[in-house]
Amino acid sequence: MKRSLAAVTAVLLAVAGCSSGGDSEESGPVTLTLAGWSLATTPEFQKLADGFRAAHPDVTVELKEYDATNYDTQMVADLAAGKAPDIYVQKNLKNFYTYQNGKQLLDVSDVAGKLGKGVGGLSAYQVDGKTYAIPYRQDSWVLFYNKKLFDQAGVKHPDGSWTWDDYAAAAKDLTPKLKAAGSKALGTYQHVWQSTSQGFALAQTAGADLSSGDFGFLKPYYERSLDLQAAGAQVSFGDATTNSLTYQAQFGKQQAAMMMMGTWYIATLLSQQAKGDADAFEWGIAPAPQLTKATTGTSATPVTFADPTGLGVNPKISERKTAAAKDFLAYAAGLDAAKALAGIGVTPADSSAVADTIFALKGAPTDELSKFTFATHDTKPENPVAKSTAPLQNILKDLHTAVLSGSKPIDVAITEAQDRAKNEVLSK
Amino acid sequence: MTTLLQPPAAPVLEQDTARPARRLPKLWRILGYLTLGVAAVAVLLPFYWMVMSSLKTNNEVFAIPVRWITTDPVWSNYADIWRKSEMTTWLGNTVFLSAVVTLLQVFTGSFAAYGFSKVRFPGRDVLFLAYIGTLAVPWQSYMVPQFVMMTKLQLTDTLWSIVALQAFGALGVFMMKQFYETIPDELIDAARIDGMSEFGIYRRVMLPLSKPALASLTLITLVTTWNDYMGPLLYLRSPDLWTVQLGLKSFISQYNAEYALIMTGSVLSVLPIVVIFLAGQRYFVEGVATTGLKG
Amino acid sequence: MTTMPANRRRWRNTAVGLGFLLPNFAGFVILTLVPVVLLFYYAFTEWNMFGGATFNGLDNFRRMAGDSSFWTALRNTLYYSAFHIPLTLAVSLGLALLLNRKLRGVGFFRTVAFFPYITSIVAIAQIWNMLFSPGFGPVNEVLRWIGVDSPPGWTTSADWSMPAVIVVGTWREMGYYMLLFLAALQTIPAQLHEAARVDGANAWQRFRAVTLPGLRPTTFFITVLLTIGSFKVFDLILVMTDGGPGQSTLVLSQYIYKKGFQENEFGYASAVSIVLFAICFLVTVIQFVVNKRRSE
Repeated sequence: MKRSLAAVTAVLLAVAGCSSGGDSEESGPVTLTLAGWSLATTPEFQKLADGFRAAHPDVTVELKEYDATNYDTQMVADLAAGKAPDIYVQKNLKNFYTYQNGKQLLDVSDVAGKLGKGVGGLSAYQVDGKTYAIPYRQDSWVLFYNKKLFDQAGVKHPDGSWTWDDYAAAAKDLTPKLKAAGSKALGTYQHVWQSTSQGFALAQTAGADLSSGDFGFLKPYYERSLDLQAAGAQVSFGDATTNSLTYQAQFGKQQAAMMMMGTWYIATLLSQQAKGDADAFEWGIAPAPQLTKATTGTSATPVTFADPTGLGVNPKISERKTAAAKDFLAYAAGLDAAKALAGIGVTPADSSAVADTIFALKGAPTDELSKFTFATHDTKPENPVAKSTAPLQNILKDLHTAVLSGSKPIDVAITEAQDRAKNEVLSK
Repeated sequence: MTTLLQPPAAPVLEQDTARPARRLPKLWRILGYLTLGVAAVAVLLPFYWMVMSSLKTNNEVFAIPVRWITTDPVWSNYADIWRKSEMTTWLGNTVFLSAVVTLLQVFTGSFAAYGFSKVRFPGRDVLFLAYIGTLAVPWQSYMVPQFVMMTKLQLTDTLWSIVALQAFGALGVFMMKQFYETIPDELIDAARIDGMSEFGIYRRVMLPLSKPALASLTLITLVTTWNDYMGPLLYLRSPDLWTVQLGLKSFISQYNAEYALIMTGSVLSVLPIVVIFLAGQRYFVEGVATTGLKG
Repeated sequence: MTTMPANRRRWRNTAVGLGFLLPNFAGFVILTLVPVVLLFYYAFTEWNMFGGATFNGLDNFRRMAGDSSFWTALRNTLYYSAFHIPLTLAVSLGLALLLNRKLRGVGFFRTVAFFPYITSIVAIAQIWNMLFSPGFGPVNEVLRWIGVDSPPGWTTSADWSMPAVIVVGTWREMGYYMLLFLAALQTIPAQLHEAARVDGANAWQRFRAVTLPGLRPTTFFITVLLTIGSFKVFDLILVMTDGGPGQSTLVLSQYIYKKGFQENEFGYASAVSIVLFAICFLVTVIQFVVNKRRSE
């Protein structure tokens, strides 16, 4: 009893000490707090903090860990309670509207004005001419393929000219040939996320628009996935969800010869191969398959999607810290940070400048197509910023699980989703 | 006086132990065993699967057809997990939380339940209704106002936030009150006439009589606190404060390819509570154990 | 004159009663009651949690009436409750009656029946989803082995996902309620059974006349807990199916969570919570009334 009392007192004292210590110093070194997630496996935050410190010795950036899957739940609670960190990541663009509309982001237009031309994804964070977050990462979805398995099956590598039909044909071609060659791998793996179908459909279909409430553009993309499932060229959606399959294991442990994934996976794959968590094999990346021939080939710019990842500043930050925080944002989007990030395999917002750095990493592919893929793409946002985006994406997620599990035919599911969108979201 | 303080059921129970229970007709006995067997398999199968998987290699976990027995158990999984995770910290935090929360909940819950069931005062029923009412409100709808409140108390990101969250639950009060209702009021009135104080009655009459109920409340609180995921997720940020459930979840996302290790982690997360349950089983099922019906 | 001592006793009783409540009540009021009462205010506002809430009258409730997802969630919640409550009651009572007999191995079973209840929900979801896996999960493996040609898709099929969740929910809770029943069975005096037997009552009649009435307080307690628990079911669904496929297992608690945390409409989410609360409360009050009338 005595001991626990002492513990309570100690905690209270510690809390009181913390809260009074922070603001008392008027000048001198500044400490900024930065939100991050899965710090043990996501080194980018530490990289940014260290790199910034090197250039600004009087500013320390402390990391605050959040849960990767429940990042926004935790952040919303912290912001509401006024104890969020000074700088926080816009992990999911879908929720940017919530923070911006809820006045939880400082206007950082002055930082945006000074950025270089190569920084991608900035427009996603602009509302009414003002900028509320600065992207430091701009991934894009590409096709990862296992060169060893392709060779084993005797199938030609992707050459950047693929449409989705070519992709499907290759997956169906690979599966029996891999089996004949004694491999257990399937032609391709489609991860369970809704973006694996809907992100491409939205980006590549002319005139497709979430907020129009017309979702007919999804149909060909789902028909293809269903066809590949039925043909056994990819694991069925049901088996993937019930067994909590992870894309890292599916591709990294050579369960599939191809996989669509965002460029963030490059860093993961490199580190898992180095540590032995993934098999050692040669791989490469190719542009995402296109809807029509018009955007294929290395002379065109392939259309793909991905949301940028940006940094925002907590408006409750003290004035003394504001300048330092803005400096940090400018640093994170700049060339020095881009190089530092590329050094750990992360795709920075200014990606064209650092392709050489990434492909010089140990274990990275060296072929021209991979470099082309990394540097050249027209990347559309998966979640256009609007009030209706989050609820519409929730409706489309229901469509995704219903269709891929075979619970509903695609036409019925689309009609239902359109009805719900009109009824629950767009009519308001 | 002493006879008055004896629970009325006790003498009956004593007789019950002395007399052997009647045996069932043969057909019914066979049916009974059959049901028991099926139920036991159904209950244990997932655990068997979990333990087996934790002793396999990653590739074996999803081998087709299912391998029910591993011929070559990979014991190293159990060594690896301590090396790869902060299991010791997580376990320590969880043990601390479970102990403190359970102590507080059992004490304050039974105390309040006595007030609700054996002391008559105006407004009592309305207050009790408020308690029951909050049980019917889903937590996720008021967790934000609650979080703000907790921040004002400067409890977030400390283990005490979880203590505050769990220790004053309405469930314990409801459960203990429900049990106290079965203790006749005459017993309390007699004690009052004997000049015992209300606290004395609670301590010397009610507490000893309610051991089985206290034991089940202890177990439930322990299990709830041990397995709570959303509470720690919302309130604890620093990795050195993580509980087993939080840790396990982050471990799963970190070592996503290591199915066998994930299973090892799951086994370890369940193990301590199983041990506590087995060790305390006699007390948890006290009413049952005293009747000599042990199999 | 005679009212004076009575009055004083009443004051004294109030003080004593509140004294007993205080340790729990203080924590309860600050951490639960105040946030819950706030909820009743937020239900009539538009609130995004960061700024102040704007009062908007009955708008949230009008919107709910026309919100097809709300009705789906309500229907699914009722579906879950309608099967989960009676099933769990029946299974746990049945097991308790069985274990109250002199059979070999009951001690062992009493212990293991409780295992599912003490296992973490994360582990449960992981394991059951694997067991239910349509392609190569052991459940369907067994079904195929006994001759079922096309076994159900369980959590990956809109028709079978709810039954799958109900099975796991019952599996998880039956051991706990079984123990409560078992403890209650022990308090029924054996003489009552003996007397009924002497009167020539058969097993079923004895069960109706002696066992059931003796179990009434426990049955009541369990039913209330089960009802509230079923209407509020959240974590089990969240980790097992996340409401899918489609909306086939979307329940109210989860809808509240989605509207609040994913779409940042805490005002509307609060309004849905109030409805869920009202349903729970109404059913509980009915159970209280019925219980009181029966026991009189």
